[in-house]
Amino acid sequence: MALEAYASQSSDSIHTDVLSQARLACYKARDAFYACLEKESNKKPTESAYVGLLYPAECKKTREAYVNQCRPTWVKHFDRQYCAKKRVQRLLDDNESRRGV
Amino acid sequence: MPLARFLLSSLKNRSEESLHIYKRFVASERYYACCTRFGASKRFYSSSGRSTRNNTPSLRLPEQSVPPSPWRSFIIPGSVIAGIGGLVFFIHYNDEKRAIPKGQGAKFERSAIQGPIIGGPFSLINTEGQLVTEHNLLGNWILIYFGYTSSPDVGPAEVQKMAKSVEILESKQNLKILPIFVTIDPQRDTPAQLRAYLREFDSRIVGLTGSVTAVRQMAQEYRVFFKKVDEEGDDYLVDSSHNMYLINPNMEVVRCFGVEYSAEELTEAIIKEMKKTET
Repeated sequence: MALEAYASQSSDSIHTDVLSQARLACYKARDAFYACLEKESNKKPTESAYVGLLYPAECKKTREAYVNQCRPTWVKHFDRQYCAKKRVQRLLDDNESRRGV
Repeated sequence: MPLARFLLSSLKNRSEESLHIYKRFVASERYYACCTRFGASKRFYSSSGRSTRNNTPSLRLPEQSVPPSPWRSFIIPGSVIAGIGGLVFFIHYNDEKRAIPKGQGAKFERSAIQGPIIGGPFSLINTEGQLVTEHNLLGNWILIYFGYTSSPDVGPAEVQKMAKSVEILESKQNLKILPIFVTIDPQRDTPAQLRAYLREFDSRIVGLTGSVTAVRQMAQEYRVFFKKVDEEGDDYLVDSSHNMYLINPNMEVVRCFGVEYSAEELTEAIIKEMKKTET
């Protein structure tokens, strides 16, 4: 009886943006964006993305592609991950420069 | 006899009556005490040959100032000590009862599982729309993963790992294991969605979903944490403990694998568990 109740309320639509094709496209766009960030890391970051991530205006195009390809929650999730990774890297790098002070 | 009467009356009711009996009892006791004392001193004096008559009236006086309950002051410390003694005895007895003599510990272990009892009955719906309960799954080795299709990176990686493990087990070792994917996001993961999602990984993976309450109950039995985070309009992520459970044919959870296991390590561990019960 729970079966019928469940079947009646569920629709048959499938979210295709989480299937593998869409996922792979999203990963590609994401990697392109972050590569651009790495490349232009010496430029001044002017634009702002989610969760406090800043990026220079050169990477605007890749950013557009990235946001279009992936779901907004995924974009936020990846941005947060990237920020955390950068923070850890900065921590490790800075430690060496301050040694001997 | 007077003592018994006193105790009885005091147990029944702390009334004036018991007080009177008590007074009379104490008075009589004092009388006996002083009499014996008096008699003893008399005998002592007569034997020593000295008669100090002025001591006898002074003997009467101090007994009036003796506190009326000489033995009552021992009740509280006595009961405290008795309580502590009882506690010590009880703990010792408990230890003795629970002690397993060396070498016989294996007899007391229940089957091969060491740890909390995870798992329980559930009734969910698979991708074909059929009802699946734990009875349908008896008799198979099962690898179960709780995830959701809208997971950005960890979910697909885990399912991929599961599919690869099953593949290696079947081709190399010829061991059959049933992979199951239970969605912790039943609102968005309909059976059709699950079917489309899992088809890309491995056709053997069974997808299970159901009503929110059914999924929540199963997740609770399997000690899986999950929570909706990052709500943005209609979209949200689900934070969960990414664990894979290995279940033996008796529907008992044998092992739990986290994200840190690679596909090869997972396969190794599964083979070890399966071989252990076969021998």
